Amino acid sequence: MTAAAPNQPKGLYAKLFEPKRLGIMAPGTSVLVYAGLLFWTIVVLFPLYWLLVTSFKLPIDVNEGPRYLPFVDYEPSLHAWDYLLVEVGGDTFRPYVNSVIIAAISTILAVLAGSMAAYALARITYKPRFASILSFVVGIIAMIVLTVVAGVPWWLSLIVGLAIFALLARTVARRFNARLGNGDILFWMISQRILPPVIVAVPVYVMFQRIGLLDTHIAMIITYATVNLPIVVWLMHDFFLSIPRDLDESAEMDGATKFQIFFDIVLPLAKPGIAATSLLVLVLAWNEYLLALFLSSVDAQTMPLLVAAQNATRGPQWWSMSVLILLMIIPVVLIALALQRFIAKGLLVGAVKG
Amino acid sequence: MSSDRVNTIGASATAPQALGAGRGMSAWLDRHSSKVFILPAVIVILAFSIFPLIVSAYLSLTRFRLAPGGFELRWAGFRNFDRLLFGSEQYHFLGTFGAVGWFGWIVMLGGAGLIIWWLVRYWISGRARVLGTIGRLITATVGFGIVVLATVTLSEGGAFGSLMVTLFYVTVGCSIQFAIALGLALLCAKPIRGRAFFRVVFFMPLMVTPVGIAYMFRMLADMSKGPLEPIWSLFGFADVAWANDAWAARMVVVIGDSWQWIAFIFIVMLAALESQPRDQIEAAQLDGAGRWQVFRDVTWPTIVPVAATVMLIRVIEAFKIIDLPNVLTNGGPGIATESMTLHAFFAWRTQDLGGSAAIGYMLLFVAVVICVSFFNLVVQRQKARFT
Amino acid sequence: MQVTLDKLSKSFGPVQVLYDLSMVVEEGEFLVLLGPSGCGKTTALRMIAGLEEVTSGRVHIGDRDVTDILPKYRDAAMVFQSYALYPHKTVAENIGYPLKLRKVPPPERDKTVREVAAQVQLEDYLARYPRELSGGQRQRVALARAIIRRPAVFLMDEPLSNLDAKLRVHMRAELKHMQNTLGTTTIYVTHDQVEAMTLAHRVAILNHGRLMQFDQPKTIYRDPANLFVASFIGSPPMNMVDGNLSNGEFTGPGFAHNLGRNLSVGPAVIGFRPEDCSVVAAGNGLIPAEIYSNELIGDHTLVTCELHDGSGTPHTVTVKMDKDFEAEMGAEIAIAIDPSHLYFFDRDSGERLRV
Repeated sequence: MTAAAPNQPKGLYAKLFEPKRLGIMAPGTSVLVYAGLLFWTIVVLFPLYWLLVTSFKLPIDVNEGPRYLPFVDYEPSLHAWDYLLVEVGGDTFRPYVNSVIIAAISTILAVLAGSMAAYALARITYKPRFASILSFVVGIIAMIVLTVVAGVPWWLSLIVGLAIFALLARTVARRFNARLGNGDILFWMISQRILPPVIVAVPVYVMFQRIGLLDTHIAMIITYATVNLPIVVWLMHDFFLSIPRDLDESAEMDGATKFQIFFDIVLPLAKPGIAATSLLVLVLAWNEYLLALFLSSVDAQTMPLLVAAQNATRGPQWWSMSVLILLMIIPVVLIALALQRFIAKGLLVGAVKG
Repeated sequence: MSSDRVNTIGASATAPQALGAGRGMSAWLDRHSSKVFILPAVIVILAFSIFPLIVSAYLSLTRFRLAPGGFELRWAGFRNFDRLLFGSEQYHFLGTFGAVGWFGWIVMLGGAGLIIWWLVRYWISGRARVLGTIGRLITATVGFGIVVLATVTLSEGGAFGSLMVTLFYVTVGCSIQFAIALGLALLCAKPIRGRAFFRVVFFMPLMVTPVGIAYMFRMLADMSKGPLEPIWSLFGFADVAWANDAWAARMVVVIGDSWQWIAFIFIVMLAALESQPRDQIEAAQLDGAGRWQVFRDVTWPTIVPVAATVMLIRVIEAFKIIDLPNVLTNGGPGIATESMTLHAFFAWRTQDLGGSAAIGYMLLFVAVVICVSFFNLVVQRQKARFT
Repeated sequence: MQVTLDKLSKSFGPVQVLYDLSMVVEEGEFLVLLGPSGCGKTTALRMIAGLEEVTSGRVHIGDRDVTDILPKYRDAAMVFQSYALYPHKTVAENIGYPLKLRKVPPPERDKTVREVAAQVQLEDYLARYPRELSGGQRQRVALARAIIRRPAVFLMDEPLSNLDAKLRVHMRAELKHMQNTLGTTTIYVTHDQVEAMTLAHRVAILNHGRLMQFDQPKTIYRDPANLFVASFIGSPPMNMVDGNLSNGEFTGPGFAHNLGRNLSVGPAVIGFRPEDCSVVAAGNGLIPAEIYSNELIGDHTLVTCELHDGSGTPHTVTVKMDKDFEAEMGAEIAIAIDPSHLYFFDRDSGERLRV
């Protein structure tokens, strides 16, 4: 018995929604598709447009109800731009430079350390002893107890903690043979992303306070690089798996060291992944709010804090906020445009196998 | 950690140039490369995750007090947790419990029934393992707890605490985001003109700082002075203050969050759609499959592993939400939009470090159970099935 | 340079893939490791290269024990099945990469790259990227990258398997010529017995991780050591007919053959090559059969004949006949074999029975 081919349908529905041939859209479909796309374009762009027009408004234009079109509804004014960029220019400029420095360096560090770890986990077999890790945790606990409870200086307790770790790892841990594998290390690194920053924030605050690095670039850079590291490991690990091992081995036969293989061969091939990952990490660092709130006050203040600070005692300064938000968006959008062709592909490889 | 091979000099008569000797800095690095590659990541993660985790655990068991010349930490046992779950902070964390009506009982019994059925099905499937059983029991317990909590806080006279608010943001927000993002990706995967333009535009919200988004939506959602004022007036809503209504305020937070994160899910789903093999779709179309059948039988199976992973990333990040409720509503009205992170932040600001750490730990617990369950029960399975 | 393998073994966890492989590859020799997939030949090659750790045994290159030495210090160049060209480097950069790593100054490097590229006819493609090349050209880049170092040993892992049939024949000849000119010891892995026979000075045949036979191609063809080698070498392969050997007589389906020597082993296999037998009228030859099909190949005809072994499943043998041979399908015939070209094997052990 053979199944009959369905007849060519007729009628209004078919006319509107059955394409004439594959690869094009029927008129009805086409209208719906473009309507949907247009709608979301408005949803995305209108808030940004509103930011733009608000940044040119005087307080009165904001407070007296909605005014949409500059020159038509209201007379645009540069007062907010002038105020933030010229009058108190230094106060805007400093957080901006802070943000640039912190976001850029922490991204570079996170991507570098993260992709090195991801590459190692994709290529080298690790078998750490479970007991060694336990001894490390014991060492850390000892260190914390010494510092917090017994009031020993932090550097002394660090040495004691490390000594305890070394002692246990060299003696007791040798006797137990349970080992972890690459998958466990990878899972452990990635799972760090689940840690709510709010748990991390207070101890890190105390730690930096103890070693006198609170409200400095270096504290912010290290913190951001660490919290974003798991994302890099996650996305890059599968990217490296997708690069044929033959290339590594070929380079090794040619006489390259592991570092030459990594920087000469593997990293250039992982460019889409690196680009997409860097962009994501950069955006997260650039926009981060909570940790900045804990770790910086004046010297290392970043842009999100400055934006939030516009909600002053005089009420929210909408025009100033708009200017600052626009100033924050512009560079990342430009970078995103430059990296655009890598982003989709780069994120995909990580997500497909992740 | 890895093999213990020895480097020696490539002493060969025929080689035109032998490699440098296995000495010096670069040779040392090469020999220890397996450690050098991974140690930076391991050390910073240990220092910034394990260390704070232990300190926080300790803090959550103490009371913090400013004392002359610094502060003191007094051992408090589980009193911080006790306060959150049963004591003075219960309304804030778990919520206010209402009187459960007959409908509530049905929901709870139904939830219990579903969870038990799910467990029994696993046990009789013949694949049951000890670890799997333990994991599923934890998942089931937390799942049932959430069902009960949802029922009692939604009942007459009840109100959400920060735990339920967070779960609301995660579940409702992520579902909305996934549905819209997938729809947009499907639209963009059609043979349209200007795909590059739409792709860039739809990706843009991800670039905006959440604090900025919060202020932006405060402006937009302003009923009397915002740009949508004519629409509100038309429907007679101009005088309604959404910020005074718990559900409206929560929805505004979800909308702001969605505006940003749809961009991320969209871009990944579009890439997944674009990378699916064309010949499969063409084969299905030749076989006479309709639009919906092609999606269900061909497209969906190829994109679902990507969807599962990207949603896992999204859920993990969603648990950390703070900027939007903090700026949009300051957690209000009352505590109606207060997420757990915000709750912990407020506690920290009032120098209740122990309470803050305890909330953080509760958040960690819920997030880990839900994310690991999602990973094991959804992501892994989808990948095993389709790749 | 001489390469010596001494009882080389390899296990992946509980699975042993190579058992006590010992052989000496002479200086300048072209050695082919031949075997079906999974026989351990690639593992053996990778152990010589140093890409795989040795479970037990030693590897010597020249008089140097390299077993515990990193690949890059072994002075061996490898050509991979996938060619492993660096996609982001041009042809010139690919070829010159080994020299760059050895810190050869750029002018000298360029000169050498150009010389080597000329050797493999790639002078015009130096600025291109691998993706812009054809399969054969990529293959040549991989060769050039190996040649440029003038290593002690070439290691090649199925380098021709990704080429189409015609190009493969061409590259085979080039490869043989090049190896002869350079005079570099070469170890070549393949599963293609034609490649092995045509290229090698000597062939080592591996099966299930064990060395089956190690000899010159001619000897392996004429004098296979066991059932596996006999059926693996030759195209079309040797015909095998099951039977019983007792009291000096081999009894197969519908025929008996007297060995002229008193030998009793029980289950045995008789083998003969397609070119050593012919189709004759029914009742004349050794083995009665009927024509199953015949295929004109060009200069000869391959006749497939079905034996009457009463098992139900068709048991066929192939006979190579003159190109003018014609026969009806299904016609009853017989197969005549020159007794001096009959091979006998013990069916259980697979060992050759010399008669």
